[in-house]
Amino acid sequence: MPMVTLRIQRFDPENDQRPVYREYAVNADPTDRVLDAINSVKWYQDGSLTYRRSCAHGICGSDAMRINGANRLACKVLIRDVGAKVTIEPLMGFRVIKDLVVDMEPFFAQFRSVLPYLINDEGAPERERTQSVHEREVYDDTTKCILCAACTTSCPSFWADENFVGPAAIVNAHRFIFDSRDKAAAERLDILNDREGVWRCRTVFNCTEACPREIRITKAIGEVKKAILSSAR
Amino acid sequence: MTDLDSIEQYAYDVLVIGAGGAGLRAAVEASACGARVGLVCKSLLGKAHTVMAEGGIAASLANVDERDGWRVHFADTMRGGQYLNSWRMAELHAKEAPERVRELEAWGALFDRTRDGRILQRNFGGHRYPRLAHVGDRTGLEMIRVLQDHGVHQGIDVHMECTVLELVKDGDRVAGAVAYERERGLFRVFSAGAIILATGGIGRAFKITSNSWEYTGDGHGLGYRAGAELIDMEFVQFHPTGMVWPPSVRGLLVTEGVRGEGGVLLNKEGRRFMFDDVPALYRDQTADSPEEGWRYTQGDREARRPPELLTRDHVARCIVREVREGRGSPHGGVFLDIAWINEHLSNSEEHIRRKLPSMYHQFMRLAEIDITKVPMEIGPTTHYAMGGIRVDPDSQMSGVPGLFAAGECAAGLHGANRLGGNSLSDLLVFGKRAGEYAARFANENGGTTIDGSEVRRSIDAALEPFSRDGDGTGAYQLQFELQEKMQNLAGIVRREEELEEALASIANLSERAQSVAVPGNREYNPGWHTALDLPNLLTAAEAVVRAGQARKESRGAHFRDDYPDKDPESGKFNLVVRRGSDGEMVLEERPIVPMPEALQQIIEEQQQ
Repeated sequence: MPMVTLRIQRFDPENDQRPVYREYAVNADPTDRVLDAINSVKWYQDGSLTYRRSCAHGICGSDAMRINGANRLACKVLIRDVGAKVTIEPLMGFRVIKDLVVDMEPFFAQFRSVLPYLINDEGAPERERTQSVHEREVYDDTTKCILCAACTTSCPSFWADENFVGPAAIVNAHRFIFDSRDKAAAERLDILNDREGVWRCRTVFNCTEACPREIRITKAIGEVKKAILSSAR
Repeated sequence: MTDLDSIEQYAYDVLVIGAGGAGLRAAVEASACGARVGLVCKSLLGKAHTVMAEGGIAASLANVDERDGWRVHFADTMRGGQYLNSWRMAELHAKEAPERVRELEAWGALFDRTRDGRILQRNFGGHRYPRLAHVGDRTGLEMIRVLQDHGVHQGIDVHMECTVLELVKDGDRVAGAVAYERERGLFRVFSAGAIILATGGIGRAFKITSNSWEYTGDGHGLGYRAGAELIDMEFVQFHPTGMVWPPSVRGLLVTEGVRGEGGVLLNKEGRRFMFDDVPALYRDQTADSPEEGWRYTQGDREARRPPELLTRDHVARCIVREVREGRGSPHGGVFLDIAWINEHLSNSEEHIRRKLPSMYHQFMRLAEIDITKVPMEIGPTTHYAMGGIRVDPDSQMSGVPGLFAAGECAAGLHGANRLGGNSLSDLLVFGKRAGEYAARFANENGGTTIDGSEVRRSIDAALEPFSRDGDGTGAYQLQFELQEKMQNLAGIVRREEELEEALASIANLSERAQSVAVPGNREYNPGWHTALDLPNLLTAAEAVVRAGQARKESRGAHFRDDYPDKDPESGKFNLVVRRGSDGEMVLEERPIVPMPEALQQIIEEQQQ
């Protein structure tokens, strides 16, 4: 098994003033994932290494981190794709709690601010509401979001302005704005029609590149912008 | 000595432990009933294991085949569970699942749709008609997101990254819980009129598993220590199709949806071995030829289902047989082939990518295999615990007043084997019931008093690992040893001597777990967390092994090499495990209450 060097940013709030980098050499197969390499550090070298992970299948979105400078899910990146020396750091833009764990509360607050739930006062019909295959297709892409924050924390506009609602929240607004069953599109468009809303986006495409679910985020943001402009007319 | 005044304290009418599908649904319901609800979860909200459910929610909406109805679903569930199920739970589940799915739709869940805009349903193992409401292969994720959004919007208090250490009682009744939060390692005390356990399963007791790290039997352990009974613990479901290669992803789930869409199982000789062994119970419902099986997956209502869609216990065992007899794939599994459907569909590659996007992605990314072109290598993986806390079928209350359980950590619905798709419907149906009845219980019985000395005892015990010197064996190593033993000695094929050996290992590990030392401090210390999870996992493992020893027959997910046949006498009882007065585990046969005639009739009608 070849050796891989992990250079991991560590921070212990009790003992460190500022983050430090530590290097660990681990045995890893090329087909191992970065998460396996980090696990091996924690299990066999330093049990205090701290990071989030849950499903390890790329679906729960817990283990987003910066891997060689790019936001990735550690459970979806293979060692052979990152080379023999890997730098691992926490997501940028949120307070680091410990090592690779950041405070996600501001991220969830952004998410909550766009009313991420179906609003429809008409009362549910006896059976399900019908929805054509086309109507459903329109917002299919944005329902794939796993709230991992890889997009928002890769966005230069967010780095520069923490009040920016961020791509993830816009993605989650998109799914309701374009859902034929929802009746509060105007309200959400109003929230996003703000300097800290969609207009802070400079179409840098970092979000789209960072998304582990391959959601076309920049396109979705564009659709929301367009909807705001056409509703204003 | 811990100063109790410095500890954060919260009071709720209903405290829900676990924020997967069952916990969220329960919290939503209790809140809708007017209860003040607290929701505690080990991870961040929305990351629960439910997100990994791919196939769909089983409910007889009859949108695709109008012959479906609750009676058929009921009979399918009982047959799948080899009649050890709680018939009352199976009845409630089959009757209420459609309403729960429609409700989820009304709350904004995305579903794949039929051509006329209704919720689409797909085929799955053991279900007679296309029954699983789904969205691509990310149904669980969608379900969690909708429940999470709906719940948070309702104003439920969420305590994220917070783990419960112990339940506290007030006399016979459950009164609250002691927990710690991960970030600072500080303790929290919750008092509650009622508590709902919704902590999921025990998959982390095994080495090869599709389960996430949270699955350490917390609810099983908490409930057991509080005096609740565990039932059906010998039945652990091994999902037939987990990835086997590369090693780092061994155990990762490959959805049954692959077979639902026409995927077939092949041994290294290219033979569809599932045709070789069809159990008598299912012979009349199973296709005679590959051609008939294909027609079934494409919606031909006259066709019968292919043998790949037999129940999971059976398919897993057939795979083990092929591997043992030398007909396996290079990495110790067999082949699952969906690419072959190009014989029938000219646009098969695009069709596969559209129907199974996550699977396509998973194999492309992790194994560099294009499933639209070549077969996958798969083998069984620990997936689900049929066993759990014994509850009242209607209310979901355990034997401990005020303590409820729902979802995987509860038991009864699935009997000896769960049908795919029945877990998501289980979460919805019984999550709702637990929420409703817990709110009612809290309302009728008022508040509780928490005994400070009990709280102090569990806090002191939790802090002990920091003051030990230990022999250098960390909590992780003990967990690995347990996983290794359970995998090898209490897995898919069991025998007496091996179960005996497993029991001895568990005793040894339990002893050593008492003296585990943890370095570092309390702030977000994963080594400490693992040490605290160990007792629950060990309790669950011991229950699996003891019940496995006592059931001297093969039925459903429990297969004994030394008793390979089903024994009619053993079909008359469930095995119940509880904590004896000296703290030892006590096992007892509990006779199954006979089914009312009306339900018995349904079973007979559906046999044709």
